[in-house]
Amino acid sequence: MLEAIDLRKSYGDHAALEGLNLKVKAGDIYCLLGANGAGKTTTINLFLNFIEPTSGTAMVNGIDVTQSPLETKRYLAYIPEQVMLYGNLTGIENLEYFARLGGHAEYSAADYQSFLDRVGLQANAAHLRVRTYSKGMRQKVGVAIALAKQAKALLLDEPTSGLDPKASNEFSALLLQLRNDGAAILMATHDLFRAKETGNRIGIMKSGRLVQELSTDEVSHADVERIYLEHMH
Amino acid sequence: MIRIIARKEFTEIVRDGRFMWTAALMVLLLLTAMLAGWQRHSSYMATQAAAQGATNTQWLKQGDKNPHTAAHYGNYAFKPLGPLAFFDNGVTNYTGTTVFMEAHKQNFAIASPAADTSAIGRFGELNGAMILQVLMPLLVIFLGFTAFAGERESGTIRQVMSMGISRLSLLWGKALGLGSAVLMVVLPCVIIGAVFIAMTDLPMVGEGLATRIALLTVAYLAYAGIFLFLTLAVSAWSRSPRTALMVLVGFWAFTAFIMPKTAAEISKAVYPSPPYGSFMADMKAHRARGFDGTPPWAELGKFQGQMMREYRVSDVKDLPFYWTAVRMQRLEELDQRVFDQHFGAVTAAYAGQRRFQDRLGLLAPTLPLRSISMGLAGTDLIQQQKFQDDAESFREAMVEKMNGYLSRAAVSLNGVSSASNYLVANEDVFAIVPPFRYQPPALATTLAEHWMNFAVLAFWLVAAILLALLGVKGMALERD
Ligand SMILES: Nc1ncnc2c1ncn2[C@@H]1O[C@H](COP(=O)(O)OP(=O)(O)OP(=O)(O)O)[C@@H](O)[C@H]1O
Ligand SMILES: [Mg+2]
Repeated sequence: MLEAIDLRKSYGDHAALEGLNLKVKAGDIYCLLGANGAGKTTTINLFLNFIEPTSGTAMVNGIDVTQSPLETKRYLAYIPEQVMLYGNLTGIENLEYFARLGGHAEYSAADYQSFLDRVGLQANAAHLRVRTYSKGMRQKVGVAIALAKQAKALLLDEPTSGLDPKASNEFSALLLQLRNDGAAILMATHDLFRAKETGNRIGIMKSGRLVQELSTDEVSHADVERIYLEHMH
Repeated sequence: MIRIIARKEFTEIVRDGRFMWTAALMVLLLLTAMLAGWQRHSSYMATQAAAQGATNTQWLKQGDKNPHTAAHYGNYAFKPLGPLAFFDNGVTNYTGTTVFMEAHKQNFAIASPAADTSAIGRFGELNGAMILQVLMPLLVIFLGFTAFAGERESGTIRQVMSMGISRLSLLWGKALGLGSAVLMVVLPCVIIGAVFIAMTDLPMVGEGLATRIALLTVAYLAYAGIFLFLTLAVSAWSRSPRTALMVLVGFWAFTAFIMPKTAAEISKAVYPSPPYGSFMADMKAHRARGFDGTPPWAELGKFQGQMMREYRVSDVKDLPFYWTAVRMQRLEELDQRVFDQHFGAVTAAYAGQRRFQDRLGLLAPTLPLRSISMGLAGTDLIQQQKFQDDAESFREAMVEKMNGYLSRAAVSLNGVSSASNYLVANEDVFAIVPPFRYQPPALATTLAEHWMNFAVLAFWLVAAILLALLGVKGMALERD
């Protein structure tokens, strides 16, 4: 579903990404680990066509994102570290706006409410202006937007950073649900524990390279941490 | 898609704190300006009608006298204004409203409202057109400068672009949303203005009122559109909303304040008009030495010989018309060539200045709009010129009619000694001069005069849209 082929991105003579090859299939939760500046966000931005690759290809559903940037985004949902919403609109209005932008005009008010319920937003918050939301509440609306988009592939950039443990846990449960529905999920994270818990594959990045891939059912929590730290030294 | 974006944009703008106070301020100023304009206009028109009526009566009731003396007694032309002058009083504060029309002399229009400060009062400058020309762009800028720059700063633009919508739809959506918010503020005031006009019982001066209002609306919409797309372009380009605001307000000050004054100064320097001080003296000297160097007395001598030859008489007293009157009319025609040349030079200088200013409109969109607005409202210099031309034609006809009557009615006085050489006419004779009526230029004439300004305004709109398209195409999604 998501595929990077020799993907390269340089800023001047600094290479942020040096020939990344990566494949995320439908039903995969692929967790990208790596130190700050390793190139995780760069990878996600390339899939979103927010930046142009220096060379190589990013494919979504078999389509080159630089060739068809609008079509490939139809299959994608994106949740950044900080979901940014319109402060003067309510949670439900934000959700409705983004759902419609994503091409889904078919939902009713009850549908929007049920998306927000599914992601665990407090029932009374849906009609408050987002200006008054906490970071976690915004994050939840971001997830609801992704749900409403019915995307085939999710690009998540540290989506749970700053969420409380319970919310983080609920988020993982949602991801598993989406995976079971057949979504391909690529998640950049610093949370080794959750990567092992939720993901079925792990990729460790260092200085723009993918240095190791693991299947989570073959390793323990301790192994993940050990292998990760070995690479960082 | 565009509608969805527009609706969200509109909701967001209207909910923003900025909207309430800018909209309130705008409505307040616009209504005050229109009310002030309305009062000024109705009192002006009442004065004009009363004065024109009085002078018409005065002409008829001037008392029995010699027709040529009656032409000396003269008549006044008071300039009427079209109903749209209440919205845009153009140059009318600074141009003369009254022309004294008399024998042997072409006069300038005098008595501008600005010279009579009590008449225009404190709000003399305030009118709806000025508010729309100066403050409407500011409203557009205030409501729109964050359109892209703000979304980039807050990061929502990434979220939006991740949904798979084109930058073009985003631009049109934002334009539509912002445009609706601006119209929501401005349109009610404009409608109130139109209702004012519809309710008026003031005389209609100038034809095609509905077309004029429609064209004014189109021109002001185009003007708002120019600022709307410029605002979006700059917002897409700028690194931060603050930069966008600074750039836009800078441009606004340039086009709405600096250029109108500067353009007038520059065009006066390029096409200088004859200084008023020496104008009258030069004209008088030219009259004395004759149009092409032959003094009037010599010309009249030649004319007399010509007449005597033509009618085969050896003495002017045998001519079949009252010679004194024909001679005076001939003098009038000799003078006319001098008047035409000198007043023509002034007119030509003004026309040159106007054309030059029209071209400067390529630097500032306020200039073409201002000209179009004044033109359609019937308050620009072109119409002032027409008023003066009408007054001059009236003067020529009046003098010609009086001299003509005298030349026919007083044939028997040819050669009679000057003491009893006098024909007295009464009201019935004066009535052959119909009351002065100003015929404002036809709408088609006005439009033809202003085609350049319409073209420049359209150019600005197209340029602004192109800039906005380029802006969103190259727009960065990341703040840096
Ligand atoms: N716009 C840019 N200009 C120059 N260099 C950039 C730019 N964006 C990213 N980089 C560089 O690219 C490299 C990879 O950055 P990236 O944001 O992908 O890291 P990351 O793995 O997401 O890190 P983090 O864990 O901190 O989010 C870094 O060295 C960064 O400095
Ligand atoms: Mg990152």
